[in-house]
Amino acid sequence: MGDQLFAPDSIWTMLHGIALGGGGLVTLFTAFFSLQLLEGSPSIEEDRPQYLFWLLMLIPGFLWLSVLAGTYIVFPRYRTTPPEGITDLIQFPKSFIQSNPNTIWLHSFAMETKEHLPWIPAMLSSAVAFVAVRYRLQLLTDRNLNRVARALLLLSFLIVSYIALLGTFVNKAAPLQ
Amino acid sequence: MATMDKPRNETNGSAMAAFLASAIGSFAVGGIVLLDQIGLFPVPALYGPAGGVSSRTTSAALVWILAWALLHRRWLDKEVNGQAIFTWCLVLIGMGLLFTFPPFWNLL
Repeated sequence: MGDQLFAPDSIWTMLHGIALGGGGLVTLFTAFFSLQLLEGSPSIEEDRPQYLFWLLMLIPGFLWLSVLAGTYIVFPRYRTTPPEGITDLIQFPKSFIQSNPNTIWLHSFAMETKEHLPWIPAMLSSAVAFVAVRYRLQLLTDRNLNRVARALLLLSFLIVSYIALLGTFVNKAAPLQ
Repeated sequence: MATMDKPRNETNGSAMAAFLASAIGSFAVGGIVLLDQIGLFPVPALYGPAGGVSSRTTSAALVWILAWALLHRRWLDKEVNGQAIFTWCLVLIGMGLLFTFPPFWNLL
């Protein structure tokens, strides 16, 4: 069990889903809540919420690393084709879940969704980070900028949560070991 | 560095270009996936082990970067209608999300 938990593929999966994806979720929610709370605050120039600008730059960092690790490291391992004649498919997650009618949906729906959807919040959060860097406090004082940024962060949070849930289902049925 | 913290009251063009480009990128993710699914734009794998997803997502990222560069250049010093951009963002992102939803592919 210990060998499986700390096998390289398992560590990459945890890094992709828990560390980077989880980091993205936490920072997305914190940034959204902060933008909501600080919008139009009368003491904003004295408070100078530097943490918020760092946070907004951290989000695309987490999400892009998670997306790239997922696409180019975890996913290729997931879809490895088993050799001819092999009967124990547990080492080949895609083939394993497709071999059981009860879990086919985990590929045809969950993984098909997870392949593409994560790129959307990565792009949306990058735009918000750019605006935070370029506009600084104006992001908090300009209601329109603040509103669009909050909407994109909230959407990103919901999408990443949904992807994380699907990822949990797939990993529970057929973990990379 | 303290001066960086003061509101500069810049025109909103640069921000709106970034927001709209990210929405165009989101639409491109869905659009390219959909076109690939219905066989109109089958893209060969950019990275073999990852399969077609590598080229579909990279193509969408290129659309995003290109749209951002063009819009940024066009709107850099302009004040843009923020409400209209916000609406377009929601529409494009919504379509992008719909197009990446596997059950939708089966309807076509």
